[in-house]
Amino acid sequence: MAAQTRELAVQLDYTAWLKSTKPKADRPPLDAEEAKRPFAKYYSEDFPKPDPAHVAKMDKPIDSSLMIHPEQLNDLLNPGDLAVEIGWGHLPNGAGFIANRMIYPHVTAEMVDWWFVWHTLEDLRYRIWYPPQHAGIMLSPRSRARILDDSIPLAQRNWGVTHHVTEDCNCGMENIDISFISPKDFGFDMSRWKEPFVSTFAGGYGWAVAVDKKDDSITAPALMCHIFRPHPGGGIEHRTRFWMGYRFSNGKPELTLPPGIKVPDAAVRGLAMHNVHEFTRWGDFLPRIYKEHGGKLLA
Amino acid sequence: MPSIQWIITIHCTNAVPWRYSQGDPSRTRGGDMPIKLMAASRRRPGLTRAEYQRYIEHYHGSIARNERLKIDRYVQNHVIDGAFGTLADETHKLVADRDAVVELSFPTFRDMIETLEPAVPSAASQDGKFFADERTNVIVMAEEEEVPVPTPLTGFNPGLGIIKGVGSLKVLHYIMRDDSVFREDYYDHFRDAHAKALAASPYAREQLRRCVMNKRCRLNDNDAAARKHFKMVDPPVYDMIVTHWYDTIEQAGAFRQYIEALQAQQPAFADWSRSFYLYTREVPIIRDTPKP
Repeated sequence: MAAQTRELAVQLDYTAWLKSTKPKADRPPLDAEEAKRPFAKYYSEDFPKPDPAHVAKMDKPIDSSLMIHPEQLNDLLNPGDLAVEIGWGHLPNGAGFIANRMIYPHVTAEMVDWWFVWHTLEDLRYRIWYPPQHAGIMLSPRSRARILDDSIPLAQRNWGVTHHVTEDCNCGMENIDISFISPKDFGFDMSRWKEPFVSTFAGGYGWAVAVDKKDDSITAPALMCHIFRPHPGGGIEHRTRFWMGYRFSNGKPELTLPPGIKVPDAAVRGLAMHNVHEFTRWGDFLPRIYKEHGGKLLA
Repeated sequence: MPSIQWIITIHCTNAVPWRYSQGDPSRTRGGDMPIKLMAASRRRPGLTRAEYQRYIEHYHGSIARNERLKIDRYVQNHVIDGAFGTLADETHKLVADRDAVVELSFPTFRDMIETLEPAVPSAASQDGKFFADERTNVIVMAEEEEVPVPTPLTGFNPGLGIIKGVGSLKVLHYIMRDDSVFREDYYDHFRDAHAKALAASPYAREQLRRCVMNKRCRLNDNDAAARKHFKMVDPPVYDMIVTHWYDTIEQAGAFRQYIEALQAQQPAFADWSRSFYLYTREVPIIRDTPKP
């Protein structure tokens, strides 16, 4: 019988995984097994900081008239830019809104599709993405089987899969369950689902709660959209949108905030800043790690 | 019903982070899938089951009809019989007593909030203490997923009224997820196990008229204030309640055949000792005539 690979050996059941997130949240040094992994070097390397001008755009909230509601997400398939591509704030109904744009000169759609599958398979793969704030990741056994099913195209592998990530979006370490879905289920107009409008997509809905969950902790929903299109100057343009306080109900966005309630500024700004930092890092190291490990999932 | 105060308190008392500031309460478009509040309760001390059921149908139900607000549908399921745990258990591991399960359906979550948290407290929100032992309530906010059945009711069936595809015996099956199973896998495991159990249960396969998975919504995670309000101490959490309909109580044996097959399925996905099922009679309180 063949030895079990690391990618399978790390599987925990739900109880064990939940218990493991507290020590993981402290971001301990790599253990001996992790240190031997062929991509461990990325954990300790220096990486570029975001452009200060970019960070500055995430400092203060923007006017709500510049934002799109989740029901308007197909505007992202229009040529050109929307009224705001970088910024955060609140919709009039109290939901949190985040827009971010990154340009990656050396990233391709194939790299994006590979990454969003590859990184799910063990904690270290998630930690190297953004070591200061990424603590770990877990899949359910059924999701792991789908992720490792080579009969499914990489671009579709995450559809229906939930990533259980532990990360800090500047409001403390949280366990976030991110359920990825197809662009059709997300609500995109599939008649325009082609270049130059779009190259690839990763998105779904999430529920976040503090790792140090108390009896009265809030479990907060959000919709997450990462959509990519060719950049005229070469490479790929990545546009992120978050709608915090929304969930999907029967395939449609639904606001879950009670009347008069607003998602806290700190939560929206914190996620916006986190997004800028983690994807600055990502754009820098994805071409390099893809060159070493791309095209395969086991390492 | 065990009252709606719980939602009120969720957002008034508990949701401190969301209370950061006031936003525009304008509504946004929601989904078409109804969201349901399912509350299983037992009678307060001193009441008989008949007194309790009479009270909730004729008094509490009338209050709800008078204060309908955005309730889309409201049915009470009056318990006839039921079983808690398994034959292998030496003693019960949970409250082994339920007298009714009420279901309140709303078009959207926002509609639910606006109904259950009116500007002026509703009479319904104050009424629960008169009939229910509120601290033992089991409250689940759920969304439906229809499970196709091999022999749905297609023709005339006397006594079942204007609603197609249901029967007069409604079984509510509270299935507690095994702690070790991820929630997303739990639903998949149930679908597989249900199909296998039906295949192994010819009587149930023939008699089951309709089956609906009521899956717990994550919004339910934010119910601490409700639990505090009702002095509920670690109430059991059910990630799913499956509803089965049969033509009459005469077919209760079909469910019995099915559940024994279901519990035997592998992989294990449920804590059967903390699961239970109720044979009930459905009492519509608010259910509009379907539009042609």
